[in-house]
Amino acid sequence: MSGGFAGTVKLTDREEFRFLTDLVLKHSGGDHTLVVLHDQHAGTTRFANNTVVQNVNSRRVTLTVTLAFGKRHGSATTTDLTAGAVREAVKRAEAMARVGPEDPEYVPPAPPQAYVDRPTALPETVAAGPDRRLELAREAVELCQGSSLKAAGVVSSSAATVGVAADTGLFAHEARADARFSVTATGENSTGWASNVHRSIDQLGVNERTRSAIEKAQRSAGAKEIPAGRYTVILEPSAVGGLLTWMMWMGDAKDYDKGTSPFSGKLGTQIIDARLNLANRPEHPDLLGCGFTPEGLPTNSLAWIDRGVLRQLAYDRFTAKQHRVEPIPTLEAPCLSGDGRTAASVDELVRATERGILVTNFWYIRTVNPTDLTLTGMTRDGTFLVEDGRVTTAVHNFRFHESPLRALNRLEAFTGPREASSAETGKLLVPAMKIREFNFSSVTRF
Amino acid sequence: MNRSEWDELAELALKRLRAAGAEYGDIRILDSRTQVVQGEDRRIAALRDSRDSGFGVRVLCRGAWGFAASSILSVEEVPRVADLAVQIAKGSASMTSEKVRLAEEPAHVDRVVTPLRIDPFGVPLEEKAGLLTDVMEYVQRQPGVVRSSGHLWARRDLKLFASTEGSRITFDLVAVQGGFEATALQDGRFASRTFNTPHLRTGYELIRDANLAAEAPRIASQAVEKVKAPPVEAGRYDLVLDPEHLSLTMHESCGHPSELDRALGYEANYAGTSFLTPDKRGSFRYGSPHVTFVADNTEPETLAATGYDDDGVACQKWDIVRDGLFVGYCTNREVAPKIKEARSRGSNRADGWGSVPIVRIANIGLQPGRATLDDMLADVKRGIYIEGHDSFSIDQRRYNFQFGGDAFWLIENGRRTHMLRDVIYHGITPEFWGSCDAVADPSHRRRFGFITCGKGQPGQSGWMTHAASHARVRNVSVIRGGSAT
Repeated sequence: MSGGFAGTVKLTDREEFRFLTDLVLKHSGGDHTLVVLHDQHAGTTRFANNTVVQNVNSRRVTLTVTLAFGKRHGSATTTDLTAGAVREAVKRAEAMARVGPEDPEYVPPAPPQAYVDRPTALPETVAAGPDRRLELAREAVELCQGSSLKAAGVVSSSAATVGVAADTGLFAHEARADARFSVTATGENSTGWASNVHRSIDQLGVNERTRSAIEKAQRSAGAKEIPAGRYTVILEPSAVGGLLTWMMWMGDAKDYDKGTSPFSGKLGTQIIDARLNLANRPEHPDLLGCGFTPEGLPTNSLAWIDRGVLRQLAYDRFTAKQHRVEPIPTLEAPCLSGDGRTAASVDELVRATERGILVTNFWYIRTVNPTDLTLTGMTRDGTFLVEDGRVTTAVHNFRFHESPLRALNRLEAFTGPREASSAETGKLLVPAMKIREFNFSSVTRF
Repeated sequence: MNRSEWDELAELALKRLRAAGAEYGDIRILDSRTQVVQGEDRRIAALRDSRDSGFGVRVLCRGAWGFAASSILSVEEVPRVADLAVQIAKGSASMTSEKVRLAEEPAHVDRVVTPLRIDPFGVPLEEKAGLLTDVMEYVQRQPGVVRSSGHLWARRDLKLFASTEGSRITFDLVAVQGGFEATALQDGRFASRTFNTPHLRTGYELIRDANLAAEAPRIASQAVEKVKAPPVEAGRYDLVLDPEHLSLTMHESCGHPSELDRALGYEANYAGTSFLTPDKRGSFRYGSPHVTFVADNTEPETLAATGYDDDGVACQKWDIVRDGLFVGYCTNREVAPKIKEARSRGSNRADGWGSVPIVRIANIGLQPGRATLDDMLADVKRGIYIEGHDSFSIDQRRYNFQFGGDAFWLIENGRRTHMLRDVIYHGITPEFWGSCDAVADPSHRRRFGFITCGKGQPGQSGWMTHAASHARVRNVSVIRGGSAT
């Protein structure tokens, strides 16, 4: 990987990683040894009040060695790849593995795997440096200034090489890159927001998304307070992504087995509306799928929720072995889609709504009750009252108390999957949704 | 790499910045070591020892910032990164409407070392693993408990800060923490109870003195009591809040809104802004006269008491809220002049060599009052006593908040009676603190801290300590978390 980042930084390539792996294995006295490399060159241009307030670039290379004697294991990490430092990391891992108690759940590294080669590092993103990020930031700021609004946001890009190898012959190495943009347009007492994350910095859609944030900020002016309560809501994709992300985090198979997951006992049963499907789509060009997991296992396309029925859980290798699950399902490129009739746009959902609340995004989502996955959070950066099929006014932000496991069973209508991302989620493809009786428990002052 | 080599690299970078015509520049070189022992369900699930070393160069050129960092500490990499920082700053200058002006600070030459009795990295791992194994065993002996976990954490930061203004400060900072959790299951419902030592800048004596194993049976028994407890009935209650619980309430509702960069819009796209805008300083009634929040980055052992911040500004003590009135902000050298303060409060911190320092919450603590806990409880007819942390959420201007807790007891006619579950309280920040009518005396004061305070883009984890005695807040809206809401 070269060029771009001013041609000044060369990330650890496949052969260099092989050399490092051999060095680690040569010094390791363990029964098993796993080597993980993460070498990243990243930068962010951050702006606020229509000016650059932070402009950073960093190079970080990390090597982690996990070493085991029987079922005793330990891990050591170093950011120094000189031979002496790598040897020292091996010794630290070895020292821990020698004194740690036996771990009944230890599983040796996987054998060699076959991987799908995916375009995970697009040249335009790898090549993007401070000048390109500044150019995009300037575009967003100038659009906001032109509308007499203040812009705050970020443009960032990252290129990395990632490697996983082991004494078993396991060897994976991949270049990855992504770019991120988000902007908050601020008026006198209103805000509007938009964001995107993409493998291609050229696909961030800075102009279109900034215009959307501007429109929301302008429409948010003069927001009125209306009482909390149960409302029909139209959730834009980022808001749906916020709820879905918490559902995805709760699918751990060990928690499921122990009875400490909200899904416990529900595998194979309908948990959400029968029109909805959740799948991992690592091959999708608008998602950030990669070739392998941190343990060197290949990622896979798989249905997790099929027509509302829970079909998959997230297994660690020990639990997978217990359940004889092969291959281990991964969910790093989530796509939620709906069967049947889809609305063409958020506007169509609005037009078909007699009275409801249009939500741009949620913020500070946290669990309230892990047993039934009741969550709380605030609406943010564009919350509107819909009456008789049109937005009539902006309203003060609400706090919600709702479980996605309940809300996604009150689904009225939805669009096709759209790109979604926020400060609290990764990149997803999810529909905008119209949901009835969504529970807003209180209202704030703006 | 030894200290004199660090000095040479620092000088190499600073020379480069001066030659490029920088108005200001600094370099931070760090070598951080983190050790984690993690237990889960009676087994030691992870033993991790991480070394993270590198340097970051920050430069002010033409009134704009540039920052570049690298994990490669070499005589070839340092000039490359310094030049890149300058190049980035000059790019920033092309999109900067107001030039950065730094508050004055004298140059400091100093060394800061965490006093400790027992080096946490010198304690045998067998002892640490054995402690957690014992604790998990005690926890899981309790009928009804289905899961256990525990952790021990230690960190050492060796750091050099050097600036073009002549500051040269070296640091050898250590921090330690430990805790465990019990999870109980009842009728398909589960609930957890946790025990945490504070995160403090001290040695392993913190863990030994906390006697985790002795606490395990109590915590396990309370986990079972909690999962079997009746759910709270929604309504208005007087709350008596313990110091650990208060540390989070103070952090979210007072700490963050008092960060001046937020109030000025720097975080508008992520962490948010603040209802405590500069025009309110000195006149806004934030809370009742019982409420005084003091920022103290000089108190020994606390996380933000590092001697100097990452601007090279000496740590200080000042008021945020005095007798209920909002009076002060957490600042750095960049934002202090924007509210006409001559000197930074010294609250600019980065979470590592690869991050640029940003304004961070100081060690903000609630000043003790005169009551005893028994007095405070005795004067409650219908209330809830809350310990520890759980669910929390707050809007981006820090008005509307909601908190759960780790354990709840119903107070009736001045007495703590039985446990409750699913307690959630919510409110509007100044109304909530305006209803505080008692704070316990200094004998009740405890310190708790955070090392995962999220802020900034790219995201950084801030460290700070919040001390408090118990506080009583009247007539707070309580709802039931879960399906009944």
